[in-house]
Amino acid sequence: MCRSRILASTGWTISLVFIASAAATAAPQTFNTALPVAEGEFVFREQFLYRKASGDPSRADREVEVLGAISVLGYGMTGDFAGFAVLPYLDKELGLTTASGARITRSTSGIGDARLFGRYTVYRDDAPGRTFRIAPFAGIELPTGDDDDSDGQGSLPATLQLGSGSWDPFGGVVATYQTLDYQIDAQASYKLNTEANGFEFGDEARLDASLQYRLWPRELGPGVPGFLYGVLEGNLLYRGKNEIGGIDDRDSGGTSLFLSPSLQYVTKRWIVEAIVQVPLVQDLNGDALEDDFTVRAGFRLNF
Amino acid sequence: MRPGTKAAVTIHVLFAAIAIMLATLGTVSAQTERAVYVLQADGLACPFCAYGIEKQLGRIDGVATVSTDIESGTVTVTMSPGASLTEKQAKEAVDRAGFTLRGFKWKTD
Repeated sequence: MCRSRILASTGWTISLVFIASAAATAAPQTFNTALPVAEGEFVFREQFLYRKASGDPSRADREVEVLGAISVLGYGMTGDFAGFAVLPYLDKELGLTTASGARITRSTSGIGDARLFGRYTVYRDDAPGRTFRIAPFAGIELPTGDDDDSDGQGSLPATLQLGSGSWDPFGGVVATYQTLDYQIDAQASYKLNTEANGFEFGDEARLDASLQYRLWPRELGPGVPGFLYGVLEGNLLYRGKNEIGGIDDRDSGGTSLFLSPSLQYVTKRWIVEAIVQVPLVQDLNGDALEDDFTVRAGFRLNF
Repeated sequence: MRPGTKAAVTIHVLFAAIAIMLATLGTVSAQTERAVYVLQADGLACPFCAYGIEKQLGRIDGVATVSTDIESGTVTVTMSPGASLTEKQAKEAVDRAGFTLRGFKWKTD
């Protein structure tokens, strides 16, 4: 791989599709839920993440690390309609070996692309101790992140920039079945990425599923005890090839399947949680970098 | 005034005073009674969601305390002395929280 090509693409899309996903109710950690946000109420979520990708088969031996803090604020417009704002802070680092054999590191940090979206519950079936809901959602990713950052090597590759520079709409539908003992969430979504600065990220389609099972307390007592959930989440993610100047980047895009075990402790006012995303299958194009793992931990607040 | 008439007036005034006192006591008693309502909220299945229902009900004028029992799905609303809650108010509050009111029962404390 020539140096210019290495600098043009990390071959690994560090887009927000993977890190700015979830709503702030008691919910999966890697995507959304159909559970409500009460009218006039706020929920806040902070999620910290560490993501690493390596194993580059090319001589560039690229490695990418991302540290992030993703803030989500949800507000209930009505009992059925909620609005969400997502703002990430990211610290990205790309290590690679140049054609001359020198090992260099390129990095950037700051606010990434924000997301605004709304979610409306179109179907609700409530019964004692359980609920089933279906809620479509739609929104847009705003170009709030810096998309023309540079270092001593010149402009950073588009995939390393904090923002895409483009206005990218997305939408999908999420369904939730929740009982006192367990919760199942499933989501299908699509993000239409648009061009900016001569670069266009490939579109993103994903299917997500989550099972949360109450581990403790085994027997419910009076009042509202805290719940400790054991969680297993799965994410099937397809990314189209990026385009550079209208030409496909053959070392980008592909299909990945992640499986993620987790623990989550839920009370009336707050939630603490942590999850590890491990790739099970990665069928990526060309020399696109593969994910090693992602760790997320955070909290949510009702107020 | 004849002695007999004076005694009769005195007795009447006494009875009137006692009646007023009893009436006043009755009012005070009624005012210290707290109405308690037990609501059945369908769809409530996790602790984080209970907060929304409690907060919506707590915003209603006259509501003193709200407590939830998640296993039974019941929400107990205790009113301030003399205040009351209608089923319509309760239904709207539970709906604003994103849930469904199935039952509404009134009992006194």
